[in-house]
Amino acid sequence: MYDAPHTERDVDQQDIKISARKVQVYYGTTHAIKDVDCDIEDKTVTAFIGPSGCGKSTFLRCLNRMNDTIDVCRVEGDISIDGEDIYDKRVDPVQLRAKVGMVFQKPNPFPKSIYDNIAYGPRIHGLAKNKADLDEIVEKSLRRGAIWDEVKDRLDAPGTGLSGGQQQRLCIARAVATEPEVLLMDEPCSALDPIATSQVEELIDELRQDYSVVIVTHSMQQAARVSQKTAFFHLGNLVEFGDTGKIFTNPVDSRTESYITGRIG
Amino acid sequence: MTDASMDTPQPRRAKTSLMTEDARTKKRNASEKRFQAYGIAAIATGLFFLVVLAFSIVRSGLPAFTTTVVDVNFTLTQAQFDEAEGQLFKTKAYSGYFITALQQKLEAENVQVAFDEAAIERIMGKIGGTLREYYTANPDQLDEEVAFKLNAASRVDGYFKGRVQRETLQDSRFLTLADLDLVDALAEAGIVHTTFNWGFITGADSGVDNPGGAGIGASVVGSFFMMLVVLFLSLPIGVAASIYLEEFAPQNRWTDIIEVNISNLAAVPSIVFGILGLAVFIQFMHLPQSAPLVGGLVLTLMTLPTIIISTRASLKAVPPSIRDAALGVGASKMQSVFHHVLPLAMPGILTGTIIGLAQALGETAPLLLIGMVGFVARGYPDGLIGGFTDPNSAMPAQIYTWAARADQAFYEKAWGGIIILLIFLLTMNIIAIILRRRFERRW
Repeated sequence: MYDAPHTERDVDQQDIKISARKVQVYYGTTHAIKDVDCDIEDKTVTAFIGPSGCGKSTFLRCLNRMNDTIDVCRVEGDISIDGEDIYDKRVDPVQLRAKVGMVFQKPNPFPKSIYDNIAYGPRIHGLAKNKADLDEIVEKSLRRGAIWDEVKDRLDAPGTGLSGGQQQRLCIARAVATEPEVLLMDEPCSALDPIATSQVEELIDELRQDYSVVIVTHSMQQAARVSQKTAFFHLGNLVEFGDTGKIFTNPVDSRTESYITGRIG
Repeated sequence: MTDASMDTPQPRRAKTSLMTEDARTKKRNASEKRFQAYGIAAIATGLFFLVVLAFSIVRSGLPAFTTTVVDVNFTLTQAQFDEAEGQLFKTKAYSGYFITALQQKLEAENVQVAFDEAAIERIMGKIGGTLREYYTANPDQLDEEVAFKLNAASRVDGYFKGRVQRETLQDSRFLTLADLDLVDALAEAGIVHTTFNWGFITGADSGVDNPGGAGIGASVVGSFFMMLVVLFLSLPIGVAASIYLEEFAPQNRWTDIIEVNISNLAAVPSIVFGILGLAVFIQFMHLPQSAPLVGGLVLTLMTLPTIIISTRASLKAVPPSIRDAALGVGASKMQSVFHHVLPLAMPGILTGTIIGLAQALGETAPLLLIGMVGFVARGYPDGLIGGFTDPNSAMPAQIYTWAARADQAFYEKAWGGIIILLIFLLTMNIIAIILRRRFERRW
């Protein structure tokens, strides 16, 4: 079952970063994602919206194979990044996750210093040749995470001692420190207050310069604010996928319209 | 909201003032108060028994740490030595000199008491033999004044500690009422007095007829070696098993069976492990009997389930978001476990390990079966190197041995041994608490 009409999409084939075809996800016997086709563009923010339990987070976690850690979860179909099938036998999920970074719903800094939080990824991937190199990566990442000015004097302080919004920006900085190509964000602002949310949103907009960003959100306003493309999921189906402006002003599917006008969800 | 509730004209809840307690609230508050009272009563009962226990242990055990000694300065001349060695009953000659010297000393102190050789022997043992042994070994000490510190007989020791009383004393070949007068006189002259018993802490067990010489030192060393074996086997095996089961193993029927069986093992009576150790380690593998190595192996089997269960619990308590975070930046499964999960679980693992060790330290039953209750008079710490394979005892087994002996004097030794054992256990628990505090990190 594929509900999004192809004709409505205005996708430049040159820029496609991730392409998913006929993706099925099963949790044990539950069919959580049904037949999803989706192309995610480079240097674009793509938002996944939909009611709770519609499968948007599950689909997001397929993109860096985080679902591998769940025993009962089974993924079928093709997902490729830059034309390479990420579910191929030869692909090491660890290598994939270095390429596809992730920011989680709840800020989850390591219980270590701010410096070590950022430096951990570059260290295990051998991105820094020496201490000065590492210092530079840490500073650059914290600047990208728009948190450098707040923490530059206390890099030795524990990351868990920061406020919720700062922690989430620290996690974003940690994710960009490994220089991924795609950044997945699973409801990154759901635990944040409006001020922290707007800071993170600004940050997402800046990150678009270099990355393909995929964000799952419950807030339609947020999707409208930060994304260029929006995908609407409902009961495991990708109902509609297209330019954000079009989805919010002139949806094709009646379910999309019901959701964005607040009748379902 | 149903139609029925909409039809009801009267609200279910009557309008009441907040200032008065209604019947239901009163009842609820009363039951809460009752429950709190039960709790306080339970804690008070527990504390009461704890205090009684601690008091009785200290009261019964403290005498084991003191001993009664005969402190006497004695000079033997070369002439006396030659004369004694020329006689048929050599030791009798020595004790004759000693008694004369003692008599002179008492006269100098102005203490009047009559005694004979037999009384001296009852009070401080076969003095002649001791003296002869000393002077034949150290002939250079002849003509010099030597301060002898002799252990008083255990009944004399008991008289000082209140175990033997004049009113109830029956004259026997061990002690007579007249001897006590002599003891009192000697005490008055400062010759007999009680002192701290280092021998109890450092010494080895003694024969059944010599409670005064019994010490717990050798079995402390035995327990120490066993704990080393337990620590170095059960910690790595237990932690590795739990990490594999908790983080890597697939969730299926096999891992479920293993999990259930580990929990069951923790509940197996310790004597079963003892008989298993006897069959496997001693009869099949021919490891030396009564050795701390075998004791340690048996206690390792017992401690493993405890360590595995506590380690798994503390691994489970690490929030999954930390694992996600590590995997999210591209760490491998093993990196996420060893860099992030394990350090966070460390306080729990250490606490579990030390509690497991403390449990093993106090375990007696399996040691009975592998023969670690033997009489060990070996002079540790001379044989420290061979300590893993030399026969030895352990603290709880030693306490058990003493408690089973007939002589009243061993009773206080058993209690004293319990004090030493408890000191070790308390120390280990304090270390566990300190380690937990040190390693604890919030997330």
